[in-house]
Amino acid sequence: MTWLIHILNGLAFGMLLFLLAAGLSLIYGLMRILNLTHGSFYLVGGYIGLTVMQFTGSFVLALIAAVVVVALIGAVIERFFLRRFHLDELPQTLVTFGFLFIFSDLSLWIWGGNPLMLNVPHIFQGSVPMGYYSYPYYRLFLIAVGFVVAGGLWWFQERTRLGTMLRAGVDDAEIARALGINVSLLFTLVFAAGAALAAFAGVLAGPVLSLYPGADFEVLIFAFVVVVVGGLGSLRGALAGALLVGIIDDFGKAFFPQFALFTVFVPMAVILVMRPTGLFGRQ
Amino acid sequence: MTSKETMPFGVTAASRQKQKPPLRGWQAAAIASAAVLTLAASGVAVRAADPIKIGILLSLTGNFAENGQQTLTGLKMYFDKVGNKAGGRDLQLIVEDTQSKPDTAVTKARKLVQSDGVAMITGIVSSGEALAVNAYSRDSKTPLVLSGDAGVDELTVPGPLQNPYMVRTSQNGRSVASAAAEWAYKNGWRKVVTIGSDYAGGIDVHYSFAQAFCKAGGRVIQAEWPPVGTADFGPYLTNLDRKADAVVTFEPGADGLRLARQYSDFGLKGKMPVMDIYGGLVFEANLPQLGDATLGMYSSLLYTPMIKTPENEAFVAEFQKRMHTLPANEGPNGYVGAHAIVDAIDALHGDVSDKMKFLAALRAVKFDSPKGPISLDKYGQVIQTMYIRKVEMVNGQPQNVPIASYPNVDQFWPFTEADLESFKYTYKDSKDSLTDCAHILAKK
Repeated sequence: MTWLIHILNGLAFGMLLFLLAAGLSLIYGLMRILNLTHGSFYLVGGYIGLTVMQFTGSFVLALIAAVVVVALIGAVIERFFLRRFHLDELPQTLVTFGFLFIFSDLSLWIWGGNPLMLNVPHIFQGSVPMGYYSYPYYRLFLIAVGFVVAGGLWWFQERTRLGTMLRAGVDDAEIARALGINVSLLFTLVFAAGAALAAFAGVLAGPVLSLYPGADFEVLIFAFVVVVVGGLGSLRGALAGALLVGIIDDFGKAFFPQFALFTVFVPMAVILVMRPTGLFGRQ
Repeated sequence: MTSKETMPFGVTAASRQKQKPPLRGWQAAAIASAAVLTLAASGVAVRAADPIKIGILLSLTGNFAENGQQTLTGLKMYFDKVGNKAGGRDLQLIVEDTQSKPDTAVTKARKLVQSDGVAMITGIVSSGEALAVNAYSRDSKTPLVLSGDAGVDELTVPGPLQNPYMVRTSQNGRSVASAAAEWAYKNGWRKVVTIGSDYAGGIDVHYSFAQAFCKAGGRVIQAEWPPVGTADFGPYLTNLDRKADAVVTFEPGADGLRLARQYSDFGLKGKMPVMDIYGGLVFEANLPQLGDATLGMYSSLLYTPMIKTPENEAFVAEFQKRMHTLPANEGPNGYVGAHAIVDAIDALHGDVSDKMKFLAALRAVKFDSPKGPISLDKYGQVIQTMYIRKVEMVNGQPQNVPIASYPNVDQFWPFTEADLESFKYTYKDSKDSLTDCAHILAKK
């Protein structure tokens, strides 16, 4: 029974990592921007969700508000700041690094320094009994959401017109432009969508991980580990990497607690040695 | 002295003349003679006119921002209460933000002493900052009143960190852990599992707990050390040794909030009781967020807002007005620090020029506070009451209700200073030996 709990735990944590890493990977895949503001999108999204939930009591409204507001913030940052440094990686990374600090201080100012926890939505309160322990419904819900989002993103990439344009843009932006695809608009949309995914993850993680100053930097590290393992720019990679890291982290902490500090980094180190581009990364 | 002191007047007048119409002869003469007359009065009178500058060094941004803000509120509440005056002189507070970084803390301390000319420094939230500023205080001979969370035990015992210019009115690691151990044994617990944040502070606190618990006759049967910032306590909770009577924790910050929620989520609430040293899980700001998840949890701390004394009830009402939240230990710690400073200045009638006299006056303070009766030992460490609390519903809100208290706890209790010196090992050698009472109680 405890084995089952460990596996479920690994999956639930892995799915949170996937939601977090998917946006980062998507943005890098198309735009070659290493977006450090991603951590802020997660935290600010979570905080916005928390505030909306406090006022309305609705988890769904909290998710919608966080996703919409953070997508808009993302679009503004892409349009008015990142665009000036098109394909110039170092300045772009520095701009996103700057925004990370700005959002960090802004959210400390608005939401204070105490760790805050979102309430679990009513229908998912309670736990399933499992032997001596029990397992929270909300985490089972997280696992389900992770699979649904992964499926949705795959469908979008492979089966929709916009997804086809996106893949064309990833493969060769110049040719895509020559074929009449509005790559500039595509960039803004993808950046906004990546930001929205991070905000979505922030709200969903809120009842489990809580929100606090510094969480933006912590989740950024997790997201990087996942994309390094899975391969930057690959959605499949993000999913595989996230689940692998989630499960290894859980079992590592349970069975080799003396290495708890770097169980997350073990898969990364091994992958970097064996396959530097990540599991599904391209050269 | 007089001519020296009038120099600035001359300089100011001269520089003003460049911008404004020159002073008429009689005006300049009147100003000059007034200045000379004032300064010619006795030296004491001149000094009495100046305010005493007090440097406040706190983490107001960064990881410990909330602790810093609450401590600052506590300090200001007491200084406001006495009208920002002590010993007949005005008090001028100069607040600096350490950004929760030890190196910034030292830079700001140096700025307070060298360019602001403060008579003393107070505050300090993190132990890292306390160690850094303590060294600076000793080197620069600046009185330091630690009134923030920084509880590292070695600062106030004979040893390399001891500093004659420092007193601590807030707390220390050992006392809170010892109270938890004493009560745990008395409550019938003999075998416990510890879940301790894996950093120097966490190891120190759990080792102090194990020392007192072993001495009483109990034993730690399993020690788990989740790293600071553990997102998911699932693996630790599912690994608990179920033969234990209780779980003992020390998990500050967001880790405490997460562990409290997850403990209940995983169905352990009601099956295995919790003793939360320092109340990181049942922190006042956490309680309303956690619903009934924390109900029945025990904790030990030097304070709870539920203490029924006139001092505390007045304090809590005013604190809530200023911060819109219930105080944990930081607010009262700041308040007590300011009280000690004011009493010491009063005892010297405002003359704090002799630093050793000022420090002796600080060590001699004795008063009732929101935390309970306060006094200091010969090393300048506070002697105060320890509270065991239990989360219960009070008027529909979960609250830390005091169920037992240990008055006049000094920094060595339940040991003596000689006992502690006779032990062979310290917490630094013992992270992996927490379950071994023979190791813990071994003598030199």
